[in-house]
Amino acid sequence: MRTGKLVRWGVPVAAVAVIGAAVAAGPVIAAVGADPVLPERTASRLLADAAAAARRSDGPPPMSGTVTKTASLGLPQLPGGPESPAALLSGAHEAKVWYGSHDRLRVALPGEMSEKNLIVNGEQAWLWDSSSNTATKIKMPAGEGQPVTPQPTDLTPQQAGERLLAEADRHSTVSVTNTDRVAGRPVYQLVLTPKDPATLVREVRLAVDGETYVPLRVQVYAKGSAEPAFELGFTEIAFEPPAEENFTFTPPQGVKVEEKDLGSLRPDERSHEGHKQEDPPVKTVGDGWGTIAVLPFDRASAAEGEGRQVLDSVLAGATPVSGSWGSGRIVKSKLLTALLTDDGRLLVGAVTPDRLIEAAGTR
Amino acid sequence: MTVGHDAGAPSGAPAAIRTRGLTKVFKGGQVAVDALDLDVPRGSVFGFLGPNGSGKTTTIRMLLGLVTPTAGDHALLDRPLAEALPSVGAVVEGPAFYPYLSGEANLLRYDAANPASSARDARSRVGQALERVGLSAAAGKRYRAYSLGMRQRLAIAAALLRPRELLVLDEPTNGLDPQGTREVRALVREIARDGTTVFVSSHLLAEVEQMCTHAAVMSHGRLVAQGTISSLHGGRPALLRVETPRAAEAARILDGLGLAEVTAAGSHVTAELGGHAPEEINAALVRQGVPVRGLAVVRPSLEEVFVGLTGEGFDVDG
Amino acid sequence: MSTADISAAGTSTAGVSTPAAEASAAGASAAGTEVLGQAAASARTAGRSGGVAAFARLLGSELGLTFRRPRNLVMLALLALVPVLIGVVVRTFGSDGDAGGIVAATAGNGLMLTFVSLYVLVPLLMPVAVAVVGGDAIAGEANAGTLRYLLTAPAGRTRLLAVKYLNAVVFSLALTVTVAATALITGLALFPVGDVTLLSGTTVTMAEGLLRTLLIVGYVTAGMAALAAVAMALSTLTEIPIGAVAGTVVLIVVTQVLRAIPQLDWLAPYLLPTRWTGFDAVLRDPVATSDLGQGLLAFCAYTVLFGSLAWARFTSKDITS
Repeated sequence: MRTGKLVRWGVPVAAVAVIGAAVAAGPVIAAVGADPVLPERTASRLLADAAAAARRSDGPPPMSGTVTKTASLGLPQLPGGPESPAALLSGAHEAKVWYGSHDRLRVALPGEMSEKNLIVNGEQAWLWDSSSNTATKIKMPAGEGQPVTPQPTDLTPQQAGERLLAEADRHSTVSVTNTDRVAGRPVYQLVLTPKDPATLVREVRLAVDGETYVPLRVQVYAKGSAEPAFELGFTEIAFEPPAEENFTFTPPQGVKVEEKDLGSLRPDERSHEGHKQEDPPVKTVGDGWGTIAVLPFDRASAAEGEGRQVLDSVLAGATPVSGSWGSGRIVKSKLLTALLTDDGRLLVGAVTPDRLIEAAGTR
Repeated sequence: MTVGHDAGAPSGAPAAIRTRGLTKVFKGGQVAVDALDLDVPRGSVFGFLGPNGSGKTTTIRMLLGLVTPTAGDHALLDRPLAEALPSVGAVVEGPAFYPYLSGEANLLRYDAANPASSARDARSRVGQALERVGLSAAAGKRYRAYSLGMRQRLAIAAALLRPRELLVLDEPTNGLDPQGTREVRALVREIARDGTTVFVSSHLLAEVEQMCTHAAVMSHGRLVAQGTISSLHGGRPALLRVETPRAAEAARILDGLGLAEVTAAGSHVTAELGGHAPEEINAALVRQGVPVRGLAVVRPSLEEVFVGLTGEGFDVDG
Repeated sequence: MSTADISAAGTSTAGVSTPAAEASAAGASAAGTEVLGQAAASARTAGRSGGVAAFARLLGSELGLTFRRPRNLVMLALLALVPVLIGVVVRTFGSDGDAGGIVAATAGNGLMLTFVSLYVLVPLLMPVAVAVVGGDAIAGEANAGTLRYLLTAPAGRTRLLAVKYLNAVVFSLALTVTVAATALITGLALFPVGDVTLLSGTTVTMAEGLLRTLLIVGYVTAGMAALAAVAMALSTLTEIPIGAVAGTVVLIVVTQVLRAIPQLDWLAPYLLPTRWTGFDAVLRDPVATSDLGQGLLAFCAYTVLFGSLAWARFTSKDITS
C-alpha cells in the first residue's frame, strides 16, 4: 500500500497528461512539425499559382467547413451582449460554410439554441433567423449574377487573402514556409513582414492550401505578442461537393416571410448603420502599413443608442494627448490606434500613437 | 503490499488473527498503534482490553482493511485480506444503518454488498440472522424506531449474515442496559460454542473475564500482555484464606501440609494455595479439631493484574 | 493486493456460494481450514458470471436506495414540474413576437417544449440534482457510518465506487428522461403536433423529431454523468455530504460565471457547462456532428479525470468514520 498509493495517484496524473496532450495537440503539432509537408515554392511562384487558381473560370472547388474568427485586439471591454456588433471585435466566432459553386452557397452562424443562415442558390437567396423566426427572401439582380459576393463572404479567407496579395510586395518582406497544416491540410504560409517600423503589425500570415490554393487562414500578429491578434480561418474543411439540401430552403410553416430586392436591401442596410448615412470625405496620410485614415467625426451626432454607449465607454478609457495641432484623446489596441481630436477629426491607423499624433499635425 | 507473503503460510497453530509489527502513525505524528504482534488462536474467545483511546479501534480498523497500516503485516484466517473478509463478521464502533430502511431491508443491503453472497437465498439468510438475535418481530420496523439494544443486536445480525469463521466485535455492549448486556453476552457465548472465533474489544474487565478464554491488553498503542485468561492470572498465585478463632493452630497445620507463605493474623490465616485442593485442606483442619468459620480461595482479579501492567484503572462495572 | 483494496469485483473471492459450499463452511467452522479452503475454491470456480451477478445485485441495491429516497424523488418531481409550468405559461399568455424564437416555436409545435425545457434546466437545476446524488455517494455513507460496514461486507472499494458511479449515471438518465417525457406529454397535450422546424429552418417529420429528442437525451445524460464524476471526486474528499454537494454546486456556478466573462472566452470550450447546452447541435441541419463529438469528448475527459481522482483517493483513504 505504501508504494501502492503512489501508483494509484499515478492514474489521475496520467489522465491529466493524456487529456492535456489531446487538448494541446493542435498547437503542439504545428510547433513541432517543422518537417516540410509540401515541396518548396518561392513567394512569387506561389502568388502566381494562387492567382491562377483564383482566376479559374469555375472558381474555387466545392467545399464545406467551419470558419473560426478569433480576435484579441486588447480593446477595453465593450457594453452590449454577444449579439451586438461590438462583440465581433473580441472573442471567438464560428461560421459553417457550404460552397457548391459561385452561385450556390450556404453560410450558417450558429448561436446558442439559435441559428442564422444565408442560403444563396442562383438568383434566389434566403436569410433565415431562428431567433426571430423570420425568413427573408432576397431577389438577386438578374444578369449581374456572375461573381455574387454576398456580405458574409466578405469575411471568408478567399477575399481577405486576395486583398492581401495585392498589397504584398511593395511594403513588405515576403517569405514562404511549407511546414504548416491548417484544418489538417498541408499549406503554404505566405509571411508578410512590414518594412515600416512605425506600424503595430509584426507580420501577417496567409495560409494557402497546398493542393487547391484556396486561402485557408489569415493571421495578423501584433508586435510584442506571440498569439495572433486577429485570426480568421478554417478549423475544419472538406473539399467535397456539399449535399444539395444545403442550398435549398423552404420557409417552415408559421414563419414570417419577407421579400426584399437586393437593390433595395443595400441602402436599407446602410441607413441601419447610422453614421454612414453619407460617405464622409476620408483622407489618408502615409502609405503601406503606415497608412492613416483621417475622417471628420462629430461626437454629438455620431452615434445613438447602443453605439453611443460603446463610444462613451471607449472614450472613458482613452488617454488625453496634445500637440501643436491641439488636443485629443487616443485609444490604443494591439493592432489599431485611434485619435479623436477635439476639433472633430478621427485618425485611425495600424501605427504607434506617436505616428498618429504626428499625423494630426498635417492638415 | 502489507498482507502478503507469509499470510498464506501459517506458522504453528492456525491463527484467526496474526499481526507482526503492525503500526499506525496518523498525520501529525500521533502513534495510534505501535508495533503490534497479536496472535489470536482459532476457536478462542479473545478479549481485546484497553482503556478508551489505547488504540483498540484503530487496530480493528487496520485488521478489517479500513485503515492502511503505516508499517507491519497482518492476516486474518491465514489468508490475504480480500479472501478472508467474506468469512469475517464485524461490528465496528457501534451499529450504523440506514435509518429510513427497515431492519430487514438494512440487512439485505449489507448482504448485497458481499460479492460472495447470492441473491437467491438472501431473504432466508436475513430471516435466520434476525431470528438468531431475536429481532424477527421487529424485522419490518424502520431502523429509526429501534432501541439502542435492538440496534446493537441488528449490527450483530449483520455480522452473522453468513457462517463466519471469525467475528470481530468492537465494544458490543457499549451503551446497553443490563438486560441488553446480558443478551449480547449470551449471544457471544452461543456463537463461540458453535466454533466461531470471537475477537471482542472492550474497556470492561469484568466483561472480558466473564466471556473470554484469551485476552490481550493494550495501553498507549502498545500491547502489554496477551495469552489465556489463566496464564494472565498466572503471574499472581491464588491465596487461601481461613477464618477461625484458633488461628495459630490452623497456621501450623497449613504449614505442615506444605503451603507457602502462611501468615496468621487475628482470627484468620492466609497462605498461597499452590497445587492443593481447598476441600482437602478443609478436611484436614476439621479432622484436627480446628473450627472453620469460613474458607475462601482468593484469586487476584484481572484488574489487579492489569492495573499493574498499564498503570491505569479500568471500569469494573457492567 | 493491498490491505485497503478489497476490490473483489473480478477477483477470486467473488462468486456465488452454492448451498453445499455454505453448508460445508458452516460445518467446518470449528477447525476446518481445509474444508473452508475447498469451499473458497469452489466459489472461485463459480467464476466470473457470479461476480457480474453480485455486481448487478449491489447496483440494484444502490438504485433501490436512490430511487426510494424521498429527497431524490422530490427533486425528480420538482424538475418534472418545470416543463409543465413552461407549457402552461406559453399556452396561457401566448408568445409575443419578441419572445425567443424557440419559445415562440413551442406554441406552434408541442415537441419544441422538450428542447426549451432542457435548455432551461440544463445550465443549473439538473446539475444541482445530479450534484446532490453524486456528492452524497461516498460522503453520505461515510457520514452515516454505513461505509465501514459496506467495506467490511466486503463490497470492495473499486467495486463500490463503480457501483456508486453507475448509480449516479442511471439517476442522470432518469432525470433527463423525466424532464423530456413530461415536456413531451405536456407539449402534446397543450400544443399542436406535427412536423418539426429545426434551428436551421429545415422541417423534419415528427418521427425524426422524436429520434433527435432521443439523441439529445443521450447527450445531456452524458453531460450530467461527467458532472457526476466531479461530484463523486469531491465526495471522496469529505465525510460531510452537504460539503461535497455544495462544493459541486459552487463549481457549477463559478464556471457559469467564468463563461460570462468575455476575456475568458478561450477558456469556455474546456468548461463543462459550455458543453451541456451543446445539444442544440442536434437541432441543426445537418446535425453538427463534430460539435456533438467534441462535447462528448469533453464529457469523456471530465469523467476519466475526475473518475480516476475519485478512485485514487477512495482506494487509498483511511476510513475513520
